[in-house]
Amino acid sequence: MRADVTATAAPPVTTRLDLDVFDGPFDLLVTLILRDEIDIWEVRVSRIIAEYVLKLADSGEFDLDATSQFVVLVAALLEMKSRLLLEEEAEEELEDLDPDEAARQLVERLVRYSQFRNAADALGEAWQAHSGRLYRSVPVPTELLRRRLPEASLRAVTLAEALAPLLRDPPAPDTSHLADLAVTLVEELRRLRVLLDDAGEFTFAAVAPQDRLERAVTFFALLELHSSGEALLHQTRHFGDIVVSRVAAPAAVMG
Amino acid sequence: MLPLARRLEALLFISPRPLSTGVLAQALDRREEEIESALAALRIEYRPGEHGIELRRVAGGHTFAVADDCAADVRGFTGAERPDELSPALLETLAVVAYLEPVTRAEIAEVRGVSSEYALGALEERGLVEQQGRADAPGTPVLYGTSERFLRLFGLASREDLPPLEGFALRADEVDEIRSRLHATAERRAR
Repeated sequence: MRADVTATAAPPVTTRLDLDVFDGPFDLLVTLILRDEIDIWEVRVSRIIAEYVLKLADSGEFDLDATSQFVVLVAALLEMKSRLLLEEEAEEELEDLDPDEAARQLVERLVRYSQFRNAADALGEAWQAHSGRLYRSVPVPTELLRRRLPEASLRAVTLAEALAPLLRDPPAPDTSHLADLAVTLVEELRRLRVLLDDAGEFTFAAVAPQDRLERAVTFFALLELHSSGEALLHQTRHFGDIVVSRVAAPAAVMG
Repeated sequence: MLPLARRLEALLFISPRPLSTGVLAQALDRREEEIESALAALRIEYRPGEHGIELRRVAGGHTFAVADDCAADVRGFTGAERPDELSPALLETLAVVAYLEPVTRAEIAEVRGVSSEYALGALEERGLVEQQGRADAPGTPVLYGTSERFLRLFGLASREDLPPLEGFALRADEVDEIRSRLHATAERRAR
């Protein structure tokens, strides 16, 4: 059974890729086991994919349904193969893994799955027999529907009153929790340049505002000064204070 | 025909969906037993082969349906088409939902051994499966169940009408077969 499959296993799988035949790993497993045709070790997934892609290119059509089913099938094959690989290693590593117990559980799951598989077949037959049946399905003519509202109570003005609230403009949303930035980058650059000119050197902690967002603006301004070559930044340790000092010969001043 | 049977006939004629015995009893102000016996008389009147329509029990009620041998004429006249075929993957997912409902996506995947996201979506789109609230479990997953349309399209009077799942169990020799093949595969690999 096993010896000659290497060369021939992949093409049959591909040509049999009706893609409805295989639905999931269990289905695949049951089919493979019962047919005893293919040793999963010998199925070269890369080859199946290559052939499928060729087939796809030849046909010139892209069937999304069929292709997604193909991807599911290939993924299932890969998962099974990788699980088998893991299993072998696990057997060596895990002494307490009882192979008989594992096999028993697998059989149990397959048996349970098969039950639903058979039920699905029965449903398929019921579908064939009944899905084409035509039942009375027209809507009831509106004039036959029971009227629940006494007509006298419905005046035109009632309708207008019901619609009025919908036409009114909603109140403006409350944005008070969104704080306005007190400083802009340009202003902050200006302030820091003045400080640099006056003091020649200062620390970030000394000049940074309390507000988190404003601190961030100050930090960006420092980076800007650094990249334009106006200031040197020096930090002795991570998260430590930053010393800002003026560059001896200032480059072109921005802003 | 019994006067009550004629009145039932009129209601069933005009109703767009199956009417349960309870609804009919309420509408005509009669006891359910009376409705049942009048329905039996009506069913004899509309027995298959007698008229172009038949009286059928489906989806929790009684309704008129076109006789099978007249369906082609109606289709030709109205342009109504048969619903699209269901793939084996869809049927299988539907079977799991129908027998285990209400059921979560994870439970379906557990039975099928494969994620059933696509199949569930397709079944929902076709109106065969619908969301029925959420499970009281971590992550409150969505619970799925079958719809009234499911019952109609599969010719079921109610969910109890599904053939029992036990009837689909593998025979003992089939289970043995799977077991021995698994062992054989394992041994072959061990070599």
